[in-house]
Amino acid sequence: MFGVEEFVDETIEDIRKKITGNAIIACSGGVDSMVAAALASKAIGDRLLAVYVDTGLMRKGETDEVRAMLEHTGINYKIASVGEEFFAALDGITDPEQKRKIIGEKFIRVFEKEAKGFKAEFLVQGTIAPDWIESGDGVRDTIKSHHNVGGLPKEMGMILVEPLRDLYKDEVRDVARFLKIQASERQPFPGPALAVRCLGEVTPENVEIVREACYIVEDELQKAAKAGKMEIPWQYFAVLIPTRTVGVQGDRRAYGRTIVVRAVTSIDGMTATYTAIPMDVLDTISTRITNTMKSQVNRVVYDITNKPPSTIEWE
Amino acid sequence: MKVYVVDNGGQWTHREWRVLKYLKVETKIIPNTTPFDEIKDLDGLVLSGGAPSVATDASLMGNNGEYLDKAEYPIFGICAGMQFLSEHFGGKLGPSVIPEFGHVDLIVKSHDDLFKGLPDAFTVWGSHNDEVKLVPDGFEITATSPTCPVEAVRCLTRPIYGVQFHPEVENTENGPQIFQNFLDIIISYEKH
Repeated sequence: MFGVEEFVDETIEDIRKKITGNAIIACSGGVDSMVAAALASKAIGDRLLAVYVDTGLMRKGETDEVRAMLEHTGINYKIASVGEEFFAALDGITDPEQKRKIIGEKFIRVFEKEAKGFKAEFLVQGTIAPDWIESGDGVRDTIKSHHNVGGLPKEMGMILVEPLRDLYKDEVRDVARFLKIQASERQPFPGPALAVRCLGEVTPENVEIVREACYIVEDELQKAAKAGKMEIPWQYFAVLIPTRTVGVQGDRRAYGRTIVVRAVTSIDGMTATYTAIPMDVLDTISTRITNTMKSQVNRVVYDITNKPPSTIEWE
Repeated sequence: MKVYVVDNGGQWTHREWRVLKYLKVETKIIPNTTPFDEIKDLDGLVLSGGAPSVATDASLMGNNGEYLDKAEYPIFGICAGMQFLSEHFGGKLGPSVIPEFGHVDLIVKSHDDLFKGLPDAFTVWGSHNDEVKLVPDGFEITATSPTCPVEAVRCLTRPIYGVQFHPEVENTENGPQIFQNFLDIIISYEKH
């Protein structure tokens, strides 16, 4: 099995050797980057600055939640609010790979700027095995470009350090629990954030719709798990698809948007099965979304595909 | 014990490395362009799967053929790895009648080696567009499924094994035991 203590000791030592100057770490508040930050901080202390980028694409309340977590760790941190820049860069873009690449590039530009201010030559990232595997390379097909690998510009003014490269999420969680990191049980959330849950154009309006729908899915599934109706899935969220359908709301014709509910069970993210959410919970989600978001959404569908052949996220 | 994984570009190559690591084997992922001389002292070799269609993109399979011809230690081909070794020894490949993505109902035909101690039927996961149409002379089928006739093969004269499904992924039942059985094959082969 996986030797957590050994991994932690070896990795801290390794980071200490590699990072000779100042470093910044790209920190989304997810378990991967929080573990990478904790390890780097143990290795180089105050020579580390954690940078959280508020892309305008994060989930409801997420920036405040991450700020509180970073505060709790005691690591130097900075929040870069650049939402407008991200929306401008994504204007008119609908191709999923293009979205991912633009976001990856944008991230790096923000980090380069912050690195300059902190005089950092090193960029630490919480890249894990599925990120580089799915991003493709000489022999491997690109399934999707993960922002921390596939979106990296060719010329980057920093030396990359990726201490979690050979781990999968279940192993990262083991390390997180060992280090008592708050984010240890947070569900995975993609780097390009809600941009890849908004099929078609990523506008502030579309993001707001999927943000609210994601919140409802998360809230209802967490309630259901608490009530003992189901286990909390590996990952669970909503997707806004660019399909309008006809409906009837209060005797009036509606022609609104469609939300997909997606929940999967997995150990490492490399294979996954769709979660059998109890019917009454699905019903609650559907009714809550269509009642509270009635001016935008009049149809909710449930995704029942495994990985393979699908992937967990839709883009 | 040293068992390396030849990287043919599979999504789950690194999972094979992980399973071997968990089984306390000295392991490493190596490019399929590695010269055989650099790996001649191993105890066993795993040929990973990969995106190439083996029948049409054989060049992307690098030195797999050389490993199969020269290695004296046991070899375990997975997915494209099994397809490649089947074709290499004279078998035939082609597009799957029913491509399998995800759940497959495996039916074990022989419990002698790779499936030792395992049930007659269990769930495995696959992900493939092509399949072995004709098993080479000197090979036999050791497992099948309702949607793919050749799920596993073995060579009758050399310690060469292949599976079409993926024992390295979490959703395959008894996956680590299949790898352990391969390691046991290595141990008993070295005793001879």
